[in-house]
Amino acid sequence: MLPNVHEVSLSNGFRALLVERSSLPVVASTIWYTVGSRDERTTETGLSHFLEHMMFKGTDRYAKGEIDLATSLMGGSNNAFTDHDLTAYYFSLAADRWEAALEIEASRMRGCTLDEAEFTAEKSVVLEELAMGDDDPWNSLHQATEAVVFQVHSYHHPIIGWKEDLERLGVGGMRDYYQRNYGPDRAFLVVVGDIDIPKTESHIRELFEGIETTGGERASVLSEPQSSGERRATIRAPGKTTRMAIAIRTCCMGEQDDFNLDVLSCVLSSGQGSRLFREMVLDNQMVTDVSTYNEPRLDPGLFWFAFELLPGVEPQAVEDCLRTELQRVAADGVEESELRRARIQLESSFLFEEETALDSALKIGRWEAQCQGGYRRLAEVETRYAVADNDAMRSVVQNYFSIEGWNVIHSLPTENGES
Amino acid sequence: MKLEIGERTLDNGLTIIAVRNAGVYTYAAGLVLDVDMRDEFAEEEGVGNLIGDCLDEGTAHRTGVELAMALDELGGRLLGNASGGTVMSPAKNSTAALVLLREMVFEPAFAEREVKRVRDEVLQEIEIEESDPRQVASLRFQKEVYGAHPFARPARGSAKAVASRGADDLHRFHKKWFAPQGSYLAAGGPAEVETTLDELEAAFSDVDGSVPEHVRPEPPVMTEGGVDIHLPMDREQVHVLLGHPGIRRSNPDFYALSVMDHVLGTGPGFTSRISRRLRDELGLCYSVHAAISSSAGEEPGTFTAYIGTSPEHRQKAIDEFLAEIDRIREEKVTEKELHDVQKYLTGSYVFAFERNTQLARYAVRAKRFDLGFDHIERYPDLIRSVTRDDVQRVAQEYLRPEHLVRVSAGA
Repeated sequence: MLPNVHEVSLSNGFRALLVERSSLPVVASTIWYTVGSRDERTTETGLSHFLEHMMFKGTDRYAKGEIDLATSLMGGSNNAFTDHDLTAYYFSLAADRWEAALEIEASRMRGCTLDEAEFTAEKSVVLEELAMGDDDPWNSLHQATEAVVFQVHSYHHPIIGWKEDLERLGVGGMRDYYQRNYGPDRAFLVVVGDIDIPKTESHIRELFEGIETTGGERASVLSEPQSSGERRATIRAPGKTTRMAIAIRTCCMGEQDDFNLDVLSCVLSSGQGSRLFREMVLDNQMVTDVSTYNEPRLDPGLFWFAFELLPGVEPQAVEDCLRTELQRVAADGVEESELRRARIQLESSFLFEEETALDSALKIGRWEAQCQGGYRRLAEVETRYAVADNDAMRSVVQNYFSIEGWNVIHSLPTENGES
Repeated sequence: MKLEIGERTLDNGLTIIAVRNAGVYTYAAGLVLDVDMRDEFAEEEGVGNLIGDCLDEGTAHRTGVELAMALDELGGRLLGNASGGTVMSPAKNSTAALVLLREMVFEPAFAEREVKRVRDEVLQEIEIEESDPRQVASLRFQKEVYGAHPFARPARGSAKAVASRGADDLHRFHKKWFAPQGSYLAAGGPAEVETTLDELEAAFSDVDGSVPEHVRPEPPVMTEGGVDIHLPMDREQVHVLLGHPGIRRSNPDFYALSVMDHVLGTGPGFTSRISRRLRDELGLCYSVHAAISSSAGEEPGTFTAYIGTSPEHRQKAIDEFLAEIDRIREEKVTEKELHDVQKYLTGSYVFAFERNTQLARYAVRAKRFDLGFDHIERYPDLIRSVTRDDVQRVAQEYLRPEHLVRVSAGA
């Protein structure tokens, strides 16, 4: 699970993780900033994501549009994403020209222009993106659920931010946020592909060694206190479909329980042979689909259950059925064959996640950014899944899934079932 | 770029193709049969889609649950569709994965209970689509553009048609059309080409059957113009589509139109005229694009321009689309625009060949559209040979503003 990584460390705190993979003449270059929506204060929600958009709008070396144009001329692609805990930018380029990506990343690490007129124009784009998300019933349900689960921690607000914060936001606030959070001491690079490692290291040193640091630590955030009881909420969405999300706050990425919950998630809902699929979709025909998802984060994350109900089925019936199934796991554990199939599936997923150079770079980067101990922990994956045994299954269900920790959000059709 | 690729035609008429993807530990195989929604009679509407959804619900030898468990043991994924299916697995399990693919596609059970359950799920999906303005706009756009052509209706069929389908319909259609004759099976993975071909042959050589002659529809015709439909829905955004019938993949102007698309509306980042103007300069939207070449197939695709925007920007967005369509017809693209797009297309195509599924899909397309397996080597020259005159000529010939259908749904 752990490829051969060559690690480079610079005096200003910047690090690069380099992996040679020469099966195709392509390179994926990814840069990761340890800042995301988690780091935003009240009134500045959405800044991390908005700033990600602005990183393509010009630097002291590349005029507006030139980053995209340069990428296009090199026959490559670029993009970025913002998450709760991180912001990542990536390029996929042919191996004979990929190092231009390093030059772009070095330029925009501290030299992003953040022009006021561009800021104003891009704000409209971000607000359109927010409106698009508001029209998506699953997106609305997801955001409502996070807002219910996290009442103190900054995971409370959506990555895209609250509309009112975005509308009020000024370019000065963004410049300040950029200065505080973007620098070599808050970033690392992951490059995977057909590269010459000594030459790449030398180029990285040349470009990044002289960049000044932010001079500050990552700001601490408030911890979410233990929930003292179940929480419930209802939202409305257009259409005729009832959806339900149940979320439970769990653990940090890389803890043994994180691996245990991955295995449990497979046992519960991966494929037609899984417990919940058989019970809820095949036998009782309550829902069209059931999914579970273990989402560990830098701070304790979530375990999700999501259901799309068949017409006439009451959400309470689905919830009761889920509770019964979880009680069965808590009391009797699961079959050894279920554990075996789950482990095979998880190990196979890891192979599929390495099919392209970019897939591999994104995996290493995410582990480095979010997991205690960083990318090296990939070496433990097989062992960790191997010890996720029957006792572990019983234990995670007993520890996390008691009623006090449940957050149940219903998304019901609008009154008139309008479509 | 050169692929390690090989093919054989089996006695049963199935063409098997292997593409080597050295350096990966995964495997994928896709079966593309000689059947699609054009083969459905009116009284069979939606049956192909329902077959695709029901294929993994059990076979002659296993229930759906047993099939899923067998797949889990391999760490595999199996997906059925209206023209066959795909299996993916770790490369070490490819032989066993092919057994499951064959069983799923050629020996499905279509048990009455499972068909009914899946049919109800499809009906629910249709209801959900009907409340999604982007889907609503898109389906109405297809209907207006394609007119009497089968592509005017959604592949999954109308709710009324789906509600009347039963297991017998699925059995009948499957028996008639799911056969190896004239079909393709392509696999990508790390093994040597000959090894993969041997494995495919061993797994599929004793399947038999042929399909009846196809009845192909007349191509769609341009409307007289003036179709302008708005479907009001209580939402934040409105989704706008403009377009008309497009081209077949066999059209010799395909490459000139690919270049035109990238100048006009599908360039990466914000390099195309439409995304630069409507998103980057005017801030009208998050999502905008326009293209004619990407939908080209055996049947004509569509020229489609799309934007999701706030309702107050609807007219402005349409005016800007029309202005850019006029501009690319009236003025030659600049030397720089042509050069930039050619550099992009001839450099980026390598990224379409990284995954096993991409390699398998390419192999089948190369056969179906008679491109030749060396198409990947000739592609850069085909793109580089396009001139500024070519781009203007194809823009004038294939973009027809007077025939544009306009459909929007949402706020």
